[in-house]
Amino acid sequence: MAEVSFYALAALAVLFAMGVVLARSPMMSVLNLLGTFFCLATIYLLAGFQFIAAAQILVYGGAIMVLFLFVIMLLNLAELGVKAESGSGLFKGTGAKLGAAVAVATALALLITATADSLGRTAVRQRPEGIDDLEGIAAELFGRYGLPFEAISVLLLATMVAVVMLAKRQRRAGDSPAPTPSAPAKEQGR
Amino acid sequence: MNVQSEHLMILAAVLFAIGVLGFLIRRNVIVVLMCIELMLNAANLTFLAASRQHSGPEGTNLVGPVFAIFVIAIAAAEAAVGLALIIALFRLRQTTEADSVQEMEG
Repeated sequence: MAEVSFYALAALAVLFAMGVVLARSPMMSVLNLLGTFFCLATIYLLAGFQFIAAAQILVYGGAIMVLFLFVIMLLNLAELGVKAESGSGLFKGTGAKLGAAVAVATALALLITATADSLGRTAVRQRPEGIDDLEGIAAELFGRYGLPFEAISVLLLATMVAVVMLAKRQRRAGDSPAPTPSAPAKEQGR
Repeated sequence: MNVQSEHLMILAAVLFAIGVLGFLIRRNVIVVLMCIELMLNAANLTFLAASRQHSGPEGTNLVGPVFAIFVIAIAAAEAAVGLALIIALFRLRQTTEADSVQEMEG
């Protein structure tokens, strides 16, 4: 059962990945990418990496997807891309339907796998705690890999500063030659 | 799950190839960034498959999961910086097409 769902999920992940590349509008690409992430998370779960699966869903499915969607909606790229590359009716109907299908399919896949995994564990295999024991990972992270771990935290801090700088600089540069009518009032208000 | 770890690696290779394909053929920088995320995911899957292959009954290999966590953190940072760059590019040019940015070519 777990093997069958692995191969089904692998095929689904490849299909979603093809969808990322082939979709006409960026919005469809993001939805397909979300499907790929969920398929991969379920595969991690099947392979016994529970913590990595949770991190995948939280970080990729939660944070990174929200970033992508936020930027696409902020820049209004959904309409731009469709207008530039194909007819305008594509996104409205099919996009919503496919998004719903993605959501349902991923939920279904998760449910099926959770069931299969728990059935397999109680019936056939006697695995102590799964491959992915959190204590061991924590010991590795703070022991042997303490320096890379701290380097990652510094990297995240540097990223935060860099993103703030990148997002701010253009606004200040654009202010002096041609100020928008609402910008000066806002600046005084602060 | 009794699937061989090689099959996980084959899946990772296929996903990586699709990511490279999209990276090469797409012009929209947001989609290019998504393809990079796809490739990072494939790398993660390879780490986990290798860890699975190298962990036996006597103990589990935890190097793969640890590096997968590192890759996830770096992917998040990369996505944030990339999207900030895209916003800056959009403010400058009103477009996200990579072909419209050609100053460095000389």
